[in-house]
Amino acid sequence: MRTILITGVKLFAICAVAALALGAVNTVTEPRIAQYKIEQLRQALAELTPGATTGEPMEVPVNPTVVTRYPVLEDGKEVGSVLDLVGTGYGGDLRILARYAESGEILAARLMEDEETPGLGKKAETPEYMKMYVGTGTAGDPVPVRKDMLPAREADAVTGATITFLGVSKALAEGSRFVRQGRQ
Amino acid sequence: MVNELTKGIFKENPIFIIMLGLCPTLAVSTQVVNALGMGAGVIFVLLGSNIFISLLKDFIPEKVRIPAYIVIIASFVTVVDLVMQAFAPSVSKNLGVFVKLIVVNCIILGRAEAFASKRSLSESLLDAVGMGIGFTLGLLLISLIREVFGSGTITLFPFGGFDGVIRIPGLATQPARVLALSSGALLIMGYLKAFFNWMELRREEARRWPAVPLAAPAKSETASSSARSAS
Repeated sequence: MRTILITGVKLFAICAVAALALGAVNTVTEPRIAQYKIEQLRQALAELTPGATTGEPMEVPVNPTVVTRYPVLEDGKEVGSVLDLVGTGYGGDLRILARYAESGEILAARLMEDEETPGLGKKAETPEYMKMYVGTGTAGDPVPVRKDMLPAREADAVTGATITFLGVSKALAEGSRFVRQGRQ
Repeated sequence: MVNELTKGIFKENPIFIIMLGLCPTLAVSTQVVNALGMGAGVIFVLLGSNIFISLLKDFIPEKVRIPAYIVIIASFVTVVDLVMQAFAPSVSKNLGVFVKLIVVNCIILGRAEAFASKRSLSESLLDAVGMGIGFTLGLLLISLIREVFGSGTITLFPFGGFDGVIRIPGLATQPARVLALSSGALLIMGYLKAFFNWMELRREEARRWPAVPLAAPAKSETASSSARSAS
């Protein structure tokens, strides 16, 4: 009994010291990480909406893919939306920021957060990767959600990371549908 | 003492000889910059865990030693993850989930169990440095081959006007893409392992059958032969 108690107390002590140390490190790093994320979001919104501004973010409560909508304003008039989308990738959630016209057409997109494999799924972070979706999303030109919907060169680019491609595509297609069907 | 440092680099290289930590090795070796980031992370965690486990070896109860090691290792990995996210966010983004997976990297737990829990602080420290450098060098070698031939580039850290990517003429446009994929990682790993095995075999043979220098002719014999030629 005594041995079990001593063992438990020692293990607890190790865990407590580790938790305290991690708390201290978190206190130093948390503000920097939060600041970096805000900067990234601000920069991405500016890059997605050149010559326009974005209004106050609006939470989208019922849609599991569309998290937030930022109205895009030109001369005070709403001309489209930037959507914060969540998709499912190979290593976890994909966080995508995409600008849509009122017709549902994708004007620009950027992968903000992911846990994809370096050199494979991570390629989706590059602006070149997202270019394959630009111009799609309307009723006549749907978002490519299968490799055979892509031109040969772009299909080559997604080889080895099909799950990432599907995750990005499905999230962008859902964003497009959301905009086309009156943001529902 | 020096042996504790150098054995991890050559004789007991964690990747090519002991063959530990192969999952992250195969997964992140697509770019040189990932190898550098991952190597730095592993060196830090190895150093921290080896030092603490060596210091606490008499305090940690035998029955719960593995959970205790995991708590210590996971704490150091979390520190690396938080610090990378805060101060090197691009490297953290590149390495993704593999930083968190250092917790289950067999090299760290292997060295804790097999070495640090039995040896002195100084020996454990040297072992951590040697193993960490050995892992980083192995990872660098694989990633250099994979990135050069599989993508035609060498990706380093960007600075100033340099975007961090060296493009190799010829290879950048027509790379052997298979080497950048998972199967390419296994192929390169296999060939490198075969190469190091061959080197080891050669060394073994040289040790067993040392080269015998051609015996110089005996003095008297030389003298008699020169006398014969003179006559």
